[in-house]
Amino acid sequence: MSYLSKSDIVKYACTCGQLKSITNMYFCRHCLKLRCGYCVCHEVDSHYCSNCLEILPSAEARLKKNRCQTCFDCPNCLNTLAVRGTTVSVRDPDDPSKVNSQKKYYHACFFCRWTTRDAGLPDQAVQTVSANGWTHKETNSSNVQRVTVLLERARLLGTLERHEREQREKKFTPRSRRTFTHLPGVTSAHVRKRAGLPPELPAPSTIKDTLAEFQPAVAKESVNPLPEEIFTKAVNLFEITTMPQRLAQPEIQPVFCVDLLPAYKHLSTKRSQRCRECEHNVSKPELNPSSTKFKIQQAAYFHVPEVRLVTAGALIGGKDTEVVLLFSNPSQHPTTLSFISLREAEEEEGNKQTEDTSDLADQQGEAASSLSSLTKPAVVLEEPRPISIKVTGNVELPSPDAEITLPPKDDAAEYDYSGETHKSHNDPKWVMHRRANKAAVSFTVTPETGFTGKRCVIGFVLRYTYINRIPSPGSFDQKPQEVRLDTRLFVDCGKICSK
Amino acid sequence: MSSLSSHDSKPKHDLKIHSDAVVCHESKLRGDITIGTHTVVHPRATIIAEAGPIVIGDYNIIEEQSFIINRLSPDADHSKQVVMEIGNNNVFEVGCVFESPKMGDQNVLEVKSHVGPNVEVTNGCIIGTGCKLRGTEVLPENTVVYGRDCARRIALDRPPTQGLQVDFLSKVLVNYHHLKKPRSANT
Amino acid sequence: MLKTFYEGGMGLTTEKQAVVFDFGNEYTKVGYAGEPAPRSILPTELRCPETGRIQRVFDAVTFDEKYDLLVEFIHTLYFRHLLVSPKDRRVIIVESVLCPTTLRNMLAKIFFMHFEVSSLLFVPSHVVSLSTLGVNTALVVDMGATETVVIPVFENVAVLHAWQAQPLGSFAVKRQITDMLKKYESPELFRTRDCVIPATRVKVEKTEPQEASETSAEAGVPEGYEELEEREEDFNYITEKHIEDIKVRTCFVTSLARVQKAEEGNPCPPPPNVDYLIGRSSRIVNISGEIRENAYNVLFEQDGDHISVPTMILDAISKCPVDMRKPLAENVLLIGGTAMATGMRARICEELKSLVVSPQYCDKLKVRTFKFHTPPAKENFAAWLGAAIYGASDIVSTRSLSKEAYLRDHQVPDWVSLIHNVFHDGTKRSL
Repeated sequence: MSYLSKSDIVKYACTCGQLKSITNMYFCRHCLKLRCGYCVCHEVDSHYCSNCLEILPSAEARLKKNRCQTCFDCPNCLNTLAVRGTTVSVRDPDDPSKVNSQKKYYHACFFCRWTTRDAGLPDQAVQTVSANGWTHKETNSSNVQRVTVLLERARLLGTLERHEREQREKKFTPRSRRTFTHLPGVTSAHVRKRAGLPPELPAPSTIKDTLAEFQPAVAKESVNPLPEEIFTKAVNLFEITTMPQRLAQPEIQPVFCVDLLPAYKHLSTKRSQRCRECEHNVSKPELNPSSTKFKIQQAAYFHVPEVRLVTAGALIGGKDTEVVLLFSNPSQHPTTLSFISLREAEEEEGNKQTEDTSDLADQQGEAASSLSSLTKPAVVLEEPRPISIKVTGNVELPSPDAEITLPPKDDAAEYDYSGETHKSHNDPKWVMHRRANKAAVSFTVTPETGFTGKRCVIGFVLRYTYINRIPSPGSFDQKPQEVRLDTRLFVDCGKICSK
Repeated sequence: MSSLSSHDSKPKHDLKIHSDAVVCHESKLRGDITIGTHTVVHPRATIIAEAGPIVIGDYNIIEEQSFIINRLSPDADHSKQVVMEIGNNNVFEVGCVFESPKMGDQNVLEVKSHVGPNVEVTNGCIIGTGCKLRGTEVLPENTVVYGRDCARRIALDRPPTQGLQVDFLSKVLVNYHHLKKPRSANT
Repeated sequence: MLKTFYEGGMGLTTEKQAVVFDFGNEYTKVGYAGEPAPRSILPTELRCPETGRIQRVFDAVTFDEKYDLLVEFIHTLYFRHLLVSPKDRRVIIVESVLCPTTLRNMLAKIFFMHFEVSSLLFVPSHVVSLSTLGVNTALVVDMGATETVVIPVFENVAVLHAWQAQPLGSFAVKRQITDMLKKYESPELFRTRDCVIPATRVKVEKTEPQEASETSAEAGVPEGYEELEEREEDFNYITEKHIEDIKVRTCFVTSLARVQKAEEGNPCPPPPNVDYLIGRSSRIVNISGEIRENAYNVLFEQDGDHISVPTMILDAISKCPVDMRKPLAENVLLIGGTAMATGMRARICEELKSLVVSPQYCDKLKVRTFKFHTPPAKENFAAWLGAAIYGASDIVSTRSLSKEAYLRDHQVPDWVSLIHNVFHDGTKRSL
């Protein structure tokens, strides 16, 4: 199976211009286009803790600052901590001669063997250790209080600014919004709300009063001097934290290892992918964190014919050689394949584009008049990139009219070894052999001269038929439609040798 | 491993296994090896005494595919014998490699760790999974080596002894494996 | 915190929290507006999917390469650290006033076109740091990774003509440590390209996938023993990460008195040496007291043009009008990770006091007292916190560049651009 996950021999050009192997791509069944991780819209579906596998609703996750409330990370090596239990013998307070054994729990890291005892935290009596006793001390809480004051001030300043601007604008706009306030039960706030305006601002004078109470920070002339002992005391590196350890706790950034305290475990997310053009999901995982299945998974691997390199002859600059590629049809319908050179495809594309742009101009004119753009926001897309790979071999393709048909994928046929290679009679001679939904096709490749020692990359356009079972929104025709789709392919045939 | 053959010419009864030790027959033991009481040697573990005898203490666990070798370095003095001493209550986990001539008590070599010939392991040390120590050093007591960069820290106390596990293994392994016959060191 | 969220009303309860980014050359700070600390501070680097090497994002040379790395990096920030969908959420970016326009435009393109955020607000780091103090005037000294930038801010306006910038940051310190180590250690220790700071090519990383794949162990025989021996030398190298670690954990900024004594020829006994262990090779590198004490001095030694960090501060003050000088000198704010070094503040204070009475400045400047501010944050995220406080107010909705505006014009307003400066009627940007 390694060819699935690691292969970079056959690359497909995504609609956005990225080159990826087919296993890394999606196929949007609505736009009928290839999509990749780069050109789909990623969305966070759900938050969960990767240790206890508990799902947190996103509102709760936001409140808890994306941290699990029951699991902890080791502050020393940043892995997950585990709960360990021990029995300790405690002297009975009533009868000093009696010794009771008691179960106590503490947290330990199985990776670096850091324990909560290293931090001087007492063992807990219950297994689900709450972090109440572990929260960080004094230093930062005063900072938090100060930041709260500063936030309030910034907010008031912002309000003041908005107020001033509204005042300025008011001079020019009729004050129609207060007309209904004489009616019983209708307040000005109510009217503002109905008019879709933000709630009325507090009077600027009260804001200014509150702001006057604010005490700005005071600069000090004295600074803490460098401790004298730094010049004499030997440094024990085991006691000083490293940069990753400090940055794992941004608020405190402890300098000494004794100040390291367990941190709540950071949550993970399940993500869904959405096509940017039609806003349909191309991939949506199941909610349950322990499930690896998907509700929607439009992988290109299920729809687009897969191409594999079977053999390539000796690649010598300027000399013809035979390259055999295997095509297989993953879909439930037969598909017809034909091949077009990259140049021809480009020309075709060029023609189509000029038509398209004129169409588009018409549409836009219409859109502006009917205001349909209000209902659906414009699609934001980065412009497709030029292909980054350099083609270093010429491939002789059969004429675009020559087609081969691949039967649908049949899982049972996978285990049928009887008909090893049966060629159908009407196959052209460049079809080497076929079996079930696969066919091996031979091409003549001429590596370009002057690229000795480089990889020989050939490129062509694969045109295949695809049965579209999703009716287009405008038409009432529910029948599946057969469409012809193009995809650009680049095959790395191997190294070009000198002899 | 060509130098082994010269040692192999000596009869195999260089092997001294204490009566309570559990040494599976499928383990590979070469050269002059002494195994202490209650030490468990799993099948497919390899112990090779090339440069000199290996003395293993009591209550150790030597797991599958672990590799303990008293290696004869090519430029060493062949006439002088180096004794490899391994203390008590040590655990050699699956796939670890140990080449150092000295190990104290209560150490753990985690999965696929590697201790080179010039690293002296004292007591209570843990060499983390996949950590490879090939330099020259003496690990202080209770050292924990962990992570990709072989970071160190000193633990508060030693790792717990594996007494229960030794008892369990000595009961279970006997049921499924042939054992190498104990030959007491003093007979 | 929560109390203000829900009782403060206006904006925050209904609107999604804005995301605040501070992309540094070395570390990136990221979190939500209105919070007292960033959610994550992490190195601005990525593992390149093709080569498997760690690559610093801002080391990329070509536009496309940098664009791709930034997209990938911001993607990880959103989905591994912030855990929110970027789409239709406001973004605030802390930028240096000296940030190149190309980078600005690139970030705008990435955020609007790739991540489809609803609005973007660039805030200048120096001005915005003041909101962590609640004052309107301060001399802001930002000591970052590549450079130290001094900009006076007077009544919330940056006095731009007085700005000072020099490549005196943590990279300079690290280069100094490497140079000093080279004097004592054998050159083979530095054989990696790593020690060419700031390039990060971790040789050790490269060998990692190979090692992971050597699973085919014959019964008990250690895998490819000869191979291991060969590769062993790889681990002897000292990498930039080690230098960073040495800098953070062992070095400090010494006092001016000791430097002066050393210059006079009777140096004080150096602080104790530290044995630094490179874990993989068990190799011990001796960090002498001299290195520990003097590495940071590179920021204070006046170069050929008599420029050091303290002179930059004084130059910035002296370039300001006379009546601004006293308030600026009495409101010095040190921010940036390098300012966190032990003894940095004390040394700057000492240097300023002694320089201002030296012949170099005693005629130019009449200020004699310097006062330092302490923001309610660690210095390395002070600018971030400033933006987070600033961004929690209405300003974020009134001053941001909206998605619609960007999609219409495809450009980011900039203070240096006349188009955006001249026709400015206070409320609406008209072209």
